[in-house]
Amino acid sequence: MTMVAIAAARGVYFAAIMVLFGASAFAVLLRKRLPIIAAVRLPRFLLLLLALVAGCIWLILAAGQMAGALTQDAIAQAAIATLFGQLSLVRAGLLLGMALIPRRRQKLIAFFSALCLVLPSATSHAAASSPAGFTAVGAILDGIHLLTAAFWIGGLAVLVILFRRKEPNILLALSLFSDWAIVSVLLLVMTGLIDAASILLGGANDASPSSPATPYLSVLGAKLALVLVMLGLAAANRFRLMPRGDDKAVARNVALELVLGTIVVLLAGALGQLSPSR
Amino acid sequence: MKKVALAILLAATPAFAHARLNASDPKANASVKAPRQINLTFSEKLEPAFSSATLTDAAGKTVPVSKSVAATTITLLPLMLKPGTYKVSWHSVGQDTHRLSGSFSFKVIK
Repeated sequence: MTMVAIAAARGVYFAAIMVLFGASAFAVLLRKRLPIIAAVRLPRFLLLLLALVAGCIWLILAAGQMAGALTQDAIAQAAIATLFGQLSLVRAGLLLGMALIPRRRQKLIAFFSALCLVLPSATSHAAASSPAGFTAVGAILDGIHLLTAAFWIGGLAVLVILFRRKEPNILLALSLFSDWAIVSVLLLVMTGLIDAASILLGGANDASPSSPATPYLSVLGAKLALVLVMLGLAAANRFRLMPRGDDKAVARNVALELVLGTIVVLLAGALGQLSPSR
Repeated sequence: MKKVALAILLAATPAFAHARLNASDPKANASVKAPRQINLTFSEKLEPAFSSATLTDAAGKTVPVSKSVAATTITLLPLMLKPGTYKVSWHSVGQDTHRLSGSFSFKVIK
């Protein structure tokens, strides 16, 4: 039960902060490359509140998991004396700080939300299971994986907003997103494969032989299957529907991709809780 | 980047996340002369605030020990142990916040 709750809190935290980072980053890009498109208004406070609440629940439940029982002492110890807790406090501070940044300073919001996104990588499976001396490499790869996934999902959120307000220059925005999304997805897939290999094949520190756990592989398989569907939708948009100018079908696919992307992030939240080994 | 990725993949041996017990000294089920210290080595860096171990004798009575947790190791410093069977019970929390626990026994001989 606790594991499910932590996975959910983790998933909600990442979903909120990924949309905030990706949408802010794509909004900055839009303003620079396509000033003809009016600024996109993001639900920043809602996303910050979601991330803050989910982050706090994640810390509290993780404290109970670490101590074996949820007590005030365990929460205080977890917050002060563990790397995860200290990073959680930094993230909470950044989230609160972001609420004070003026809306037009989207570069700053993108920068701080990127920090909130990559900080948990220091305590991720990818970092923990990296061979000795490669912990930082594992954390960096995990961070790149999160940032590129966030750009994809957040960019889709911006496109959904543009479709809803019937933006007349939507095809220009789609074309810009598509160019950047290709690079982003390539990096995402590459880092994802290295992360998965590092976690499933293991690091150099553990001498006890073990094999991949079925629940972990099932969730990972479901996540990969959904990503493949998302890639299929993106390819259909880029190579079939956009050249035809079929706005309605593109809008439907973009919305579907965003929903699938959110499910993928929630599944990734569960992966962080499941043990990769038996 | 390719070199780093290759290094990660090539350096891989069977292993996973979570702080698993990799080795102990004395080893599980070993018969040894009274050890001056008991070392438990884990697969990843431990969170000292939530990682520990206890030593009990054959009657299940806790044996007083000094403990220290550093990086991937928990060390117990018992006073002179009398001959008999002892059990080490441990729990570990890695930086990924997951908790594992376990135990093993060893025998002290004259």
